[in-house]
Amino acid sequence: MSETNKEDSVWTVLEGERRSVGVIHIVITALLIGIGFVVGAFGSISFPLGFGVNFFWTGIAVQQIGPIWFGGWGIIAGVIFPFFSNAIAGTPFYVSLAYIPANFVQAFLPAFAMKKLNCDPRLKKGRDYLVLFVAMVVSSAFGAIYSPLVVLKGFGLLTVESLPLFMWGWFGGNVVAGVVFNFVLLKALSGVVIKTPAFVKKWWS
Amino acid sequence: MKKTLLGYMPDESFIYHVHPSVKVLFLLVVSLFPMFISAVEWNAALILFLIFLLVVSRVSLRIIKIYIPVAISMGTIILLSYTVLGGRHPEFSIVGSPLGVPIYWERIRDALVVYFRILPMILTMVFFLSTTREREIVAAFRAARIPFVVTYMIAMSMRAAGMVLEDFRIVRQAEQARGFDTKGKSLPYKIRKYVAYMIPLFALSLRRAEEFTNALVARGYSFRSNVKRPDYILSRYRFRWWDALACLVIMAGFAALLAARYGYGKFTLEDSIFLDWLGGRLLSGAAA
Repeated sequence: MSETNKEDSVWTVLEGERRSVGVIHIVITALLIGIGFVVGAFGSISFPLGFGVNFFWTGIAVQQIGPIWFGGWGIIAGVIFPFFSNAIAGTPFYVSLAYIPANFVQAFLPAFAMKKLNCDPRLKKGRDYLVLFVAMVVSSAFGAIYSPLVVLKGFGLLTVESLPLFMWGWFGGNVVAGVVFNFVLLKALSGVVIKTPAFVKKWWS
Repeated sequence: MKKTLLGYMPDESFIYHVHPSVKVLFLLVVSLFPMFISAVEWNAALILFLIFLLVVSRVSLRIIKIYIPVAISMGTIILLSYTVLGGRHPEFSIVGSPLGVPIYWERIRDALVVYFRILPMILTMVFFLSTTREREIVAAFRAARIPFVVTYMIAMSMRAAGMVLEDFRIVRQAEQARGFDTKGKSLPYKIRKYVAYMIPLFALSLRRAEEFTNALVARGYSFRSNVKRPDYILSRYRFRWWDALACLVIMAGFAALLAARYGYGKFTLEDSIFLDWLGGRLLSGAAA
């Protein structure tokens, strides 16, 4: 990566630019939880496979885009809102609790990849699309392996033979919904978001 | 009527006299009960008890209707996953072989055990959501001395969910007014067009975030934990003797369950009269 590119990056804090955690970050976290609650519950109720696993989980958009725009605040929202959306859709409390590591990785990894590899959230180059897509696939693969294998099997809810159905359900449900929503939302709104004080360049401000 | 997290409740109900902390404790502890019970009749009894609680709390049982499709879909998936997708096990007893797929009694039994574990867990959540108001969550958090910033964020996010729903309705009506109609269209089309709702929803939320922030800053709000707060909301909910008694009963119930399960071997599969009866019926039917 050349120095010029780094200086042009949306993630670079410019000389003289002061960034700090503010009330707006608390507010944006709360609003993201609110959006995730509604949008995630829609997916959980409309396309259920069971135990909070869905064929098409719309909540992934909030979970993965929130952290790209708002860093750690988006990750917090991405971990908390599935509790609410799963609860409304009838997922037991302790199953939702055990999903935390999967939700954390799904929220963290795309943001981490975009920041670390200096990709633009406005998706200006093919590389930006590719990095985001790979991060979405890898993070969803982790969720798809961890949740059915560790959580659902651990609770004794699934047989070994039915694990692939849930793994593919989780993976496909997240990746397909991610492909449908994430690119369009980033392309349409990133230009506006990065100009707002809520946009997070590092992890918290 | 009073608005709860899941719907509306009548103005008069005994549940309003229960401290929010007791409701949270009930959710956390009673959700664990089914995990230690294998005998399905005991979990069925827990389901009846939870329905009884919903009735005496004057919650409309129509609320359960929302969860019937979820319960059916989960039940079907559990049954299929344990029977059709359950693999071949020569050591188990076959009760039938539809389309050449052997269905084992042991797998049906396990599916029933799992299903009857999940149902009370869902009902506990339904009971909590349908008897708890947003402000009670705030009161429970503050009573548990959870930092103000966390409590405020959770409270605001619950309000935000209501606003997002309202925004969603407005966006949908605005698009319908412009001739956008998904009626009769295929599911992939509807899914693709769902993006048309998401973009305005996000944009509206971003605008709201700035408006909220300006309002909070103008009122001198501080999220620092060293600021002394009057905690007005806690003054509305007093922890009374019956709350203490309810906590004691819940914890004693859980301790008794653990003692019965691991000390005396109760609530196990072998203890289940219903499974004994069902197994006998299915296996004798298969033998005949």
